[in-house]
Amino acid sequence: MSNMKRSMRRVFWLLALCFFLLLGYLGKLVLVEREEISGNAYNSRLRYADDSIRRGDILDRDGELLATSLLQEDGTYRREYPRSRMAAHITGYSSVGKSGTEAAENFTLMALHNEFLQRVSSIVRKTELKGNSVALTVDMEIQSVAGNLLGSAKGAVVVMEPSTGRVLALQAYPDFNPNQVANQWETLRDHKDSPLVNRGTQGIYPPGSTFKTITALAAMEHYRGWEDFTIECTGEMHFEDKVIHCYQDKAHGTVDMKAAMAVSCNCYFAALAKEMGAGDLVKTMKQAGMQMPSHFELETSKNAIYLEKNASENELVETAIGQGRTGVTPLYMAMLASAIANEGLMMQPYIVDHVVYPDGGTGKETIPNKLTEICTAEQAAALTDMMTEVVSSGTGTAAAVQGVTVAGKTGTAENATGNDHSWFIGFAPAEEPKVAVAVLLENRNQGSATPIAGKVIAAALQELEE
Amino acid sequence: MFDLIIMLSRYAFIGYIVLFLWQGVVYVAYEQGGNLGNPYRAVSIQRRLIVLMHITAFLILSYNRESHFFDIPTLIFAAVSLVFILLAVKLLDRFYYEGCPLIWTGMLFLMDLSLIMLQRLEPYLAKRQMMWMAIGLAGMSFLPTFFRIIPRFEVFEWAYIIACYGLLLCTRLFGIAKGGSTNWLSFSVGSLDITFQPSEIAKFLFVFYLASVFRKRVEWRQFLTTGILSAGLVFLLVLQKDLGSALIFFMTYMVMLYIATSNEMLMLLGFGAASGAAAVAYKLFSHVRVRVAAWQNPWADIDTGGYQIVNSLFAITTWGMLGSGLTKGMPRSIPVVESDMIFAAICEEFGVLFGMGVIGVFIMLLYRGVRIALDCGRRYYSILAAGVTTMISFQAFVILGGVIKLIPLTGVTLPFVSYGGSSVLVSLMMIGLLQWVCVYCEQQNREAEERELEWLGGGEWDE
Repeated sequence: MSNMKRSMRRVFWLLALCFFLLLGYLGKLVLVEREEISGNAYNSRLRYADDSIRRGDILDRDGELLATSLLQEDGTYRREYPRSRMAAHITGYSSVGKSGTEAAENFTLMALHNEFLQRVSSIVRKTELKGNSVALTVDMEIQSVAGNLLGSAKGAVVVMEPSTGRVLALQAYPDFNPNQVANQWETLRDHKDSPLVNRGTQGIYPPGSTFKTITALAAMEHYRGWEDFTIECTGEMHFEDKVIHCYQDKAHGTVDMKAAMAVSCNCYFAALAKEMGAGDLVKTMKQAGMQMPSHFELETSKNAIYLEKNASENELVETAIGQGRTGVTPLYMAMLASAIANEGLMMQPYIVDHVVYPDGGTGKETIPNKLTEICTAEQAAALTDMMTEVVSSGTGTAAAVQGVTVAGKTGTAENATGNDHSWFIGFAPAEEPKVAVAVLLENRNQGSATPIAGKVIAAALQELEE
Repeated sequence: MFDLIIMLSRYAFIGYIVLFLWQGVVYVAYEQGGNLGNPYRAVSIQRRLIVLMHITAFLILSYNRESHFFDIPTLIFAAVSLVFILLAVKLLDRFYYEGCPLIWTGMLFLMDLSLIMLQRLEPYLAKRQMMWMAIGLAGMSFLPTFFRIIPRFEVFEWAYIIACYGLLLCTRLFGIAKGGSTNWLSFSVGSLDITFQPSEIAKFLFVFYLASVFRKRVEWRQFLTTGILSAGLVFLLVLQKDLGSALIFFMTYMVMLYIATSNEMLMLLGFGAASGAAAVAYKLFSHVRVRVAAWQNPWADIDTGGYQIVNSLFAITTWGMLGSGLTKGMPRSIPVVESDMIFAAICEEFGVLFGMGVIGVFIMLLYRGVRIALDCGRRYYSILAAGVTTMISFQAFVILGGVIKLIPLTGVTLPFVSYGGSSVLVSLMMIGLLQWVCVYCEQQNREAEERELEWLGGGEWDE
């Protein structure tokens, strides 16, 4: 009998534990996951509240209005975007569904701070119910410079602060007018250039020669003899059943890594990768966070990674020079440039700086967060040294800025859609980096991204100085 | 102005449930020898809290925004159901003198919550639910008499299991599908169409069967027969796509076996076999895979498979700890909200804190049930009480866990709260049984005590 009672007690505790699990999980749902779950675009409950609550504003880092709600005569609110196209891919739209910051911060923008007081005051004194505003990390000065430089060229410009991961500018073209999304919806949705897609975060492109930075990091980490590794470049090199050419079959002569980086010698990096083997390159690609979710607030595509440990030699040498099937987003390339600038620490990119309550108080602030460590500080310094050479005397001279040492890497990506894509990633000042950029132009001539990057860097540095 | 009242009422409801649970603690503390207050007063406060909750909720529900006056039919129903609850208290006191008062108040609290929520969701269901509750309570009052007439009902062990199989098999033959499971029987009495779930009644019989077998020492023979027969039932339930009930039957079997044998090895064996069976079921049945997929990532498939659970999560999280206020939420967007998903509606309108309080009420019921099983001197009744308690508690866990996405969602009802005739009837009968055991054992214990006193004081030293 006493055995039975003991078993009963145990069963009771087991069932009680089940119930406590329920309590804990329910608490977690509401306290931790509430924003993420209820901010979902499918949640009809937030839409239901749409009419009665004045949606919060979206501000840039100097407090400039990017999106706001205006009361109309019929008592409903109209969403307005004062900067229109200039910040379209950042604000997104809130009419036919939601995108951009409007979608990501839907919950915050509709949430009432001090709900009880606001509601009482709205019932008693007929004041309006106001959602919270969000202040972004974006600087509209830099954003405008980037937008004007991009003009009507398809592509993207991403500007980041390397030490924190703040996104200072995020431009993409084709864009759209967020004020007109509702009445142009079908045109926008079905347009062949997909203007609603944010190419900065959702576009996936072959990285071209900018990928050589990763191949170089792999060699530094895994291939002991990299400093003495040289080749005799004749403009082309034969592998398994693949011939790798340098740009315009130019012969670069005897090159080591630094020289090869400066002139962007394909043969060198292909040979280096063959020497190293695919396993080490795969390891470094992982290390560099290529497969990591970025946790960026705006909708972001994942990089496309196919290289495997036992890949064929063809695939390996193609990947090493940024061709083949590998695809990356401009956002990721900006993160990579930032990480090299930040002594190997890749920061988590973010665009929402803090929440602003309707009474002006500051709400939740985003705290910079380390994503991963892609290499050691020494390796980052060595790579920075090579990238400085690229801008001072190599393929990237067009990105040079007067009085500042710029480090960077150019890229030209062959692709199936026509002319090559043009890339530039870089940061400045090389000694104490304050800004990192990634520029991509679709189907433009080789090198056309480089001068844009230089001007954006110059503008950003000047803006940050003030 | 009315909106303001609804807003303030959210705090009132949370206050009610917190105070309700606190009075339960006061009662238990007294029983354990501590002193936090008068236990009789605690129980009477609990009853008053139920009445208060009823009045508050129905005043809000009956207010008509257009006419700025109260809706008369709703007020009438409110009055009738209030009288019903008060009568139930009297009735239960009369037929189960000395039953555990906390189980009564807990049960009535949940029943009242059910009437409130159903009135808010679908008024005609609230009326039907009250009818079922009335029938259940009537049956419950009859239960003690029934057991007095047939005192040794443990000898019918074979009859119980045969009836179980009969009930489940007849749904195989005549059953209709409803809510994805083929476990409903439908027939007409006069003009009234009645559908009921035989698996609910089978639950009741199943506990009787196991307790009857396990009342004796459990040898290999009993272990094997009960094991095979129970597995058969579980298999039938899985076949009918009634996964929740299958889980409840399995768990009840394991718990009762463990209580009867105190053998941990058997448990491991049982859970091992169950994991194997679950893996096979996962491979074999697509409806099992669909449930698991919807649980793992409902967001991938919001439009179809994940729709129900995603809407439940929206309902729970959107309004936060305090809820939207009664009538201010959108619980109707959740499929089958009046039955399986009613907890999501409660969390939405009364707030998650209140929802936690409801879980607290179930913990209270569990604790009191186990207390009865522990205090009972007769092995058969003790096992019976433990079985019934496990079944109700685990059923509550399965559906609560499903609604909040802790475990895959399976369609079972939340005892006393969900709409459903068979569910309400069977839950009430189970509580009746539990209370009857309580009353019976109290009497036995007292008689034993009296005999002991006589023996000590009588001084009959014959030997």
